[in-house]
Amino acid sequence: MSGKSRREFLKKSITAGAIATGLSSSTLKAGPLNILSPDRMGVLVDTTVCVGCRNCEWACKDAHNLHAGNLDSYEDRKILETKRRPDHTALTVVNEYPRGKYSNLPIDVKVQCMHCDHPACVSACIVGAFSKQENGSVIWDTDMCIGCRYCMAACPFQIPAFEYDKALDPLIMKCDFCFDRTKEGNLPACVNICPVEALTYGPRTELIKVARKRIKRNPDRYIDHVFGELEVGGTSWMYLASKDFKELDFPDLGKNPAPGVSESIQHGIFAYFVPPVSLYVLLGGIMWITKRRKELGTEEKI
Amino acid sequence: MKKILAILLVLIFMGEINAQQSPGKDHSELNINCKTCHTCDVPTKDEPCLVVCPREKIATIYQKPEQTPELIVIDQLKDRYNPVYFSHKIHAQMSIMSGGCENCHHYNTSGPILKCNNCHQSSRQREDISIPDLKGAYHRQCMDCHREWSHETGCNTCHSPINDLKESEKNDFKKQLKGKDHPPVTEPTKIVYETNFEGGKLVTFYYDDHINNFKLKCNQCHARESCTRCHDVNHISSDKLILVKEKKSLEEHHKKCFNCHKENDCAKCHLDKQLEPFNHKQRTGWALNKPHSYLSCVSCHGSKQPYKKLDNQCVSCHKGWKKENFKHSVTGLRLDKIHSELSCEDCHTGKDYSVKPGCNGCHENYVYPNQKPGRLVGK
Ligand code: SF4
Ligand code: SF4
Ligand code: SF4
Repeated sequence: MSGKSRREFLKKSITAGAIATGLSSSTLKAGPLNILSPDRMGVLVDTTVCVGCRNCEWACKDAHNLHAGNLDSYEDRKILETKRRPDHTALTVVNEYPRGKYSNLPIDVKVQCMHCDHPACVSACIVGAFSKQENGSVIWDTDMCIGCRYCMAACPFQIPAFEYDKALDPLIMKCDFCFDRTKEGNLPACVNICPVEALTYGPRTELIKVARKRIKRNPDRYIDHVFGELEVGGTSWMYLASKDFKELDFPDLGKNPAPGVSESIQHGIFAYFVPPVSLYVLLGGIMWITKRRKELGTEEKI
Repeated sequence: MKKILAILLVLIFMGEINAQQSPGKDHSELNINCKTCHTCDVPTKDEPCLVVCPREKIATIYQKPEQTPELIVIDQLKDRYNPVYFSHKIHAQMSIMSGGCENCHHYNTSGPILKCNNCHQSSRQREDISIPDLKGAYHRQCMDCHREWSHETGCNTCHSPINDLKESEKNDFKKQLKGKDHPPVTEPTKIVYETNFEGGKLVTFYYDDHINNFKLKCNQCHARESCTRCHDVNHISSDKLILVKEKKSLEEHHKKCFNCHKENDCAKCHLDKQLEPFNHKQRTGWALNKPHSYLSCVSCHGSKQPYKKLDNQCVSCHKGWKKENFKHSVTGLRLDKIHSELSCEDCHTGKDYSVKPGCNGCHENYVYPNQKPGRLVGK
């Protein structure tokens, strides 16, 4: 069987499967939404301003129905003694680093999804659950997510987290740039609460200008680097810092989008699938092909 | 030193603006929006079209801390929190050693004090995101310093929830701050630093010499002190202040000294034993008596470092002093009639005014100051 005819076969059998499972053809999209709007929004995180109050952590949980607890309990600074990563219980975390030998003040760095301009997670998602929205947010559709964790492996910032502790239907979790809030014209919860406005929300192009201006006006305060302006092809969340980003545990990434982004490998084959029911159809199809291939002795790879 | 002088000059200049209520000749070059003071587009000398404002009451940021408001009640959030009672004067007094009023009033014309919300917008959702919103601006002012020494960042550190405080307690706050100054900073006489420098481990720093003899102002050295220099980093107790060992790089440690002292002369300060206090007579052979003891070093030696040795001739500084116009009483001794008719060299042999005058030319067995050629007068 040639590649083309096999793909056609797959399309047909999947459509058949979808129809069989009662899905209208309008829900079957040709690929994930991946918009790079010139007006996309972003956040500039100024780590020289952040006071490490962790109010953003609380607000984020509160806005996402995660167990947030009492805001007062976030005053505990002991937790900052160990480095943390965002996970399914906290979509953003603040880590603390020494400013240098001669300062009592630490540097605090808020970590969350960077909302890449060319998101590896969107490309990696085999079912097209991930999308880059017009306002810059990289979000995912929980109903579509099959928990395969390809996004976790693809993300250059190791952001998507998996609900390992959930026995039933564990799903991917990450910062969604408060898509539900911004849709309604509200600020992201973390931006809204930050007492010192270390997080500036605005159009990405505008934020780059603001960042450059701050560096120019305070060359002693900042290093001349806006992290996220160019990294992995640009990100919606960008950072300013007083010292090398490597010392603040930022990954040293090139300017090219993460590997796999441009190729969009999976979509060619899997974009038409509607999980999880159609997955069974797919698996059935694959089994059928494999069986057929064995019979025909072909060495072609899927 | 040059920098400090420049800053001082600017401050003096600004001070003068304030005093005379006249902005000075080239004020159009200052970074002030013309419309702050003028109502028309092209103000002229004859038609200055000045805005109507209570000029004599204009408060500027170039006030002395003592003249500033004692207490500022910040109550924009009064529906959620009790007001914040901000001890403004005490903070102003502290700021002298760390950047001055401009620390908080970071943008101000030489006119009236601008309110934060003149520039900082109250909504976080706004068009101009180049400067922080009002909430951010306020909190940056307070939290930047406060978290350094107390590590506290919780809202309740400053904002007590409404109803937590009784009305009487609120008044207590006000009363406590009334007339309260920042406690005077205790000044050392000398500090002996033990260093690792091989060529001489001890550096003796005479604080009082620098203040009283060299006439330095506090903020000439302590211009950018961090709060933690005095305030307890470990937050052991709020009223017990601990002088914390400065965390500074070698370069920063020396910077203050190098403002006046030569950089390559290590052995001048680094010695194996403690240094004696500065003694002008010992060092130069010229005792600094009144009225010269009132002067700062630069008034005789000029600001150029290192100081040059001056000769002992009064006329090198007091240009134009001659016998005819010199009033001997400025030295504290008014000459009697007979002596005032003599020439200077008759007593000050060799015109060396640094040594005791001699009486031997005329009197046998007379010794100054046992015998005086006139009477002592107050200077
Ligand atoms: S940071 Fe990771 S999860 Fe976030 S958009 Fe980029 S690739 Fe996706
Ligand atoms: S943007 Fe929303 S989801 Fe993302 S870290 Fe901030 S509060 Fe959390
Ligand atoms: S709320 Fe703002 S200041 Fe506080 S930790 Fe988060 S980013 Fe930093």
